[in-house]
Amino acid sequence: MPDYALPYQDDLGFTNILMSGLGGDGANMAAKLLFKIAVEKLNLDGGYDAKYGSEKTGTPTDVSIRLCPLGTPVRESGPTRRPHMLSVFRDKLIASQGLNRGLQASTTVMVNTSRSPAEIRELLKLHSGRILTLDATRIALETKSRMNMPMLAILCAQLGFPAEVVKAAIAAQWPRAQAANLAAFDQAVGQATSATFEPDAAYPLVEPTTITSPIGFANMLNGGAIDALTHLNIPAPDAEPLGRVPVFTLELCSHCGLCLVPCPEPGAIVWNDKKMVAINPVYCKGCMQCVEICPTTKRGKALVEPELAVV
Amino acid sequence: MLEQRTIISSGNEAAAHAIIDIGYDGEGYYPITPSSEVGEYVNRAHAQGEIDLSFVVGTSELAAISTVAGMAIAGGRAVDVTSSQGLLLKAEELPALAGLGLPVVLNLATRDINAPLNIKNGHSDLAATLGWGWLTFLAPTVQAVYDLNIIALKIAEAVNLPALIAYDGFHTSHANRRIKVFEDRQVVRNFVGPEPPPRLSILDVRHPHTFGPYMNDDLINTKVLLDQKMDQALRLLPKIFDDYARMSGRRYGFLDVYGDADAEAALLVLNSAAEAAKVAVDRLRREGKRVKVVSPTVLRPWPSDTLLQALFTADRIMVAERVSQYGAGNYLANEIGAVLQRSGNNNLILSRTYGIGGLNFYPEDADYLFRLALNFPNVPDHEKRWKGYYQAWAGEKDYQPQPVATALTKEETTRNDGKEKIDLKELAEMPHRIAKHASCPGCSTFANLDMFLRGIDGHVVLFFNTGCGMVVTTGYPSTSFRVPYFHNLFHNASSTATGVMEMYRRFRRQGKLNDEITFIVVTGDGGDDIGMDQVIGAALRNDPIIVLEYDNKGYMNTGGQLCYTGLLGQRFTNANVGPHQRGKPQHHKDIVEILRGTHAPYLFQAGVANYRDLIAKARKAQKMVREGNFVFGRFFSPCPLNWGADPKVGFRIVDKAVKSCLFPLYEVEHGKTKLNYNPERAGLKIPVKELFTSMGSAFAHLAGEQFADVAAEIQKEVDRRWKRLVEMDANPAL
Repeated sequence: MPDYALPYQDDLGFTNILMSGLGGDGANMAAKLLFKIAVEKLNLDGGYDAKYGSEKTGTPTDVSIRLCPLGTPVRESGPTRRPHMLSVFRDKLIASQGLNRGLQASTTVMVNTSRSPAEIRELLKLHSGRILTLDATRIALETKSRMNMPMLAILCAQLGFPAEVVKAAIAAQWPRAQAANLAAFDQAVGQATSATFEPDAAYPLVEPTTITSPIGFANMLNGGAIDALTHLNIPAPDAEPLGRVPVFTLELCSHCGLCLVPCPEPGAIVWNDKKMVAINPVYCKGCMQCVEICPTTKRGKALVEPELAVV
Repeated sequence: MLEQRTIISSGNEAAAHAIIDIGYDGEGYYPITPSSEVGEYVNRAHAQGEIDLSFVVGTSELAAISTVAGMAIAGGRAVDVTSSQGLLLKAEELPALAGLGLPVVLNLATRDINAPLNIKNGHSDLAATLGWGWLTFLAPTVQAVYDLNIIALKIAEAVNLPALIAYDGFHTSHANRRIKVFEDRQVVRNFVGPEPPPRLSILDVRHPHTFGPYMNDDLINTKVLLDQKMDQALRLLPKIFDDYARMSGRRYGFLDVYGDADAEAALLVLNSAAEAAKVAVDRLRREGKRVKVVSPTVLRPWPSDTLLQALFTADRIMVAERVSQYGAGNYLANEIGAVLQRSGNNNLILSRTYGIGGLNFYPEDADYLFRLALNFPNVPDHEKRWKGYYQAWAGEKDYQPQPVATALTKEETTRNDGKEKIDLKELAEMPHRIAKHASCPGCSTFANLDMFLRGIDGHVVLFFNTGCGMVVTTGYPSTSFRVPYFHNLFHNASSTATGVMEMYRRFRRQGKLNDEITFIVVTGDGGDDIGMDQVIGAALRNDPIIVLEYDNKGYMNTGGQLCYTGLLGQRFTNANVGPHQRGKPQHHKDIVEILRGTHAPYLFQAGVANYRDLIAKARKAQKMVREGNFVFGRFFSPCPLNWGADPKVGFRIVDKAVKSCLFPLYEVEHGKTKLNYNPERAGLKIPVKELFTSMGSAFAHLAGEQFADVAAEIQKEVDRRWKRLVEMDANPAL
């Protein structure tokens, strides 16, 4: 058994880790493997608790992992309120999910992003700690692995888990994807950029979330009804795009309207005066069925996948 | 102590592990979050040959528990799992199982009972059962879920009462922890007994008995027996707990008490919250406060004496419950008050409702409740009450949301009226009745609905059954519906629409309402399993509503469980593929053909593979309901998430489903069948095998060598049904 000590301990002896991602990113799988390594290889205890609702591909989700020395009673359940370590699978979740709430002083933050640690600190409004950034999406693409692999690698490295133990566990868990996963693992550890931020009073510590909203028992409509005219789901014009969307070239479009047929997203294909004019990236989730159905005419093909677009 | 091993397990997995270790004869199953996984794990073990049991997926929770009743009356050991409204749907059968003396086991991953719908934790399901004659155990940890499953069966069979094990939905059902399980299953089987103790069986043809007779004045005596059995359980349980402790090293009792024996303040709280409260006890004791947490492990029989011993010395008792009895004292607070009053005590009892709808309960929360009890009545004004809510909020006084949309007018939504031609360019400008939603990328449900609604003019009112379509559209306080919408739980939409439509017609007759409205019900194929009777009822009454089914061949909102629409051999989370099971054991249900027997005026199948056909059917559907007719339509609706399919090819899958004749585009108008597209005649018919390769991992195995016989069976069945349709198309008399 390797000699191992947890990097953080709260008054009960726990290191608290929060992973934040989207449904389908594999955060849950990464947490599962991390906990398995902790229990089976490092003789730790604790638990992991996934946020679970009706989890759809692309909806925000999180998983909390608690680690403690074996023998410590494990009594809390549900998400951790005061993470020592934060792993963010998509940097856009920092603002939308309020991920700075409850972060401790000297947090370790790991973010899949193309931004710098200093930029992430501004985005996160981090009191203090170490920020590691890596382009896990690119690493996953290049190594034909998944995004959760580089994110798991960097987390394990920060936890001080012995690399050979983690790699052996990854290899055993997914024997067929072993080479790809281990390549992603190595790249992540080698390529992360880090910076440490002292408690310089730039940002205060933020209390954990207390659930509340502008509508409560005093002003809720009878039976919890929703006023559709004030609460119709219309994103702000400057809302963050959801992800990878097709590239639309107006000049090549014959305005046949076929793309409307398989499209599940009302508002994604923008149509004006009997002409298709745009793809709205705030509505489009990137299923690419419109690309599949879009005909190639004499002029060409108006909708293509982003990687294939001639810019 | 017997040999055990460490595993990492969730609460649901722990329940499954116990079920597998016990070696039940049968399980009745119907999915509901958060307990669905239990049956999935059991089925996986069944497919692998680790356990051999009858695993029956019912049309509903009531069907599942009734199947369990059948297994039990035949002398089998039977188990079921549920949550929340699932439990309520079983409710007819649950007191009956107690009355009939059938020792079955029900795992309850607790979830609040409610509308508006919330799928998270709450104990209102548990509270509903308290008077139903069930032995009731509470498992606060993942470990306890495993252990109490074994203990519960033992006592259930000893006294011939059914037993329920309640553990917190999500907080425990989805918590993953290190637990211990027995290395050798046989020791568990020895503990519960290799066979149930002898009891009357319906299979005993040599000595017939009548079960479930009609009973008049004698009925009260059965109630006496229920109480006597509870008393007997109270006497027998200590020895069972002792035996289990010797075997496992883990001791359970009627109560779990943690803290100072002479505590000034006690917090009585159930399940996972009691674990969090122990942390608060430790912290408060370090401050010199005398406190304890009391958490019953057995709720029925109610351990009055043990509770009295644990509580009478505490001057201040806070009873925190994840449930509320509105307009009255709360469940446990009342019972504890009664226990104390009977013994001449008058401790201060405070009652708070907390943690509803999955609100988490942390040590800080227990700390707050302890301090409230310790300081009462010197507490903030809003807390100067014996009963109240903790964690609720009033909302912002000045909150004045501004309009973001206007109501759709009849004029702007009239684009089809009288037109023969189907022009996508024109229909592109039909305003969306359904706005942005949170479905998975490439979800066919909304592609079908969006296209169908382009063919419907004027005002529309929508009714959704519970399912993905409902969950991704109405996350409070936001809605995706620009038109009036009602979700009235799992399977009730068609009957609910009937009620609305009746009032619509009445108010129109009375001159109170002038708007012309089309009523559309939207359901998944699961909604038409559990709600099959209601859709048949609406068809038989010929109610002028349109019912649309998006058939994605499974219960996708709960994680991909078997629905009767699934194909023979289709892989589901609860119909696994393994050496001892080959996916779904039956052919796919054909709801349109089931409804044909109602002689409903208009039935159709459509899909995004042919938009002209789909729009034409939408127009005809509206014409039919305007003429006072019932309409049912079914869409073939790929689910990229649970089929494991590439979202990009969704509409191509639909096209292949049509061309393989698995999903013919056809309609039945006043009994006359019309094929709208005949791939055979067009020379484009493809083998179903070609379809399987593009449908994703739930189907891909059906195209492989090992499933060649299953694929051949499906082909044969598809061809048989197709030929029948071709004949019906050719012969109006059919």
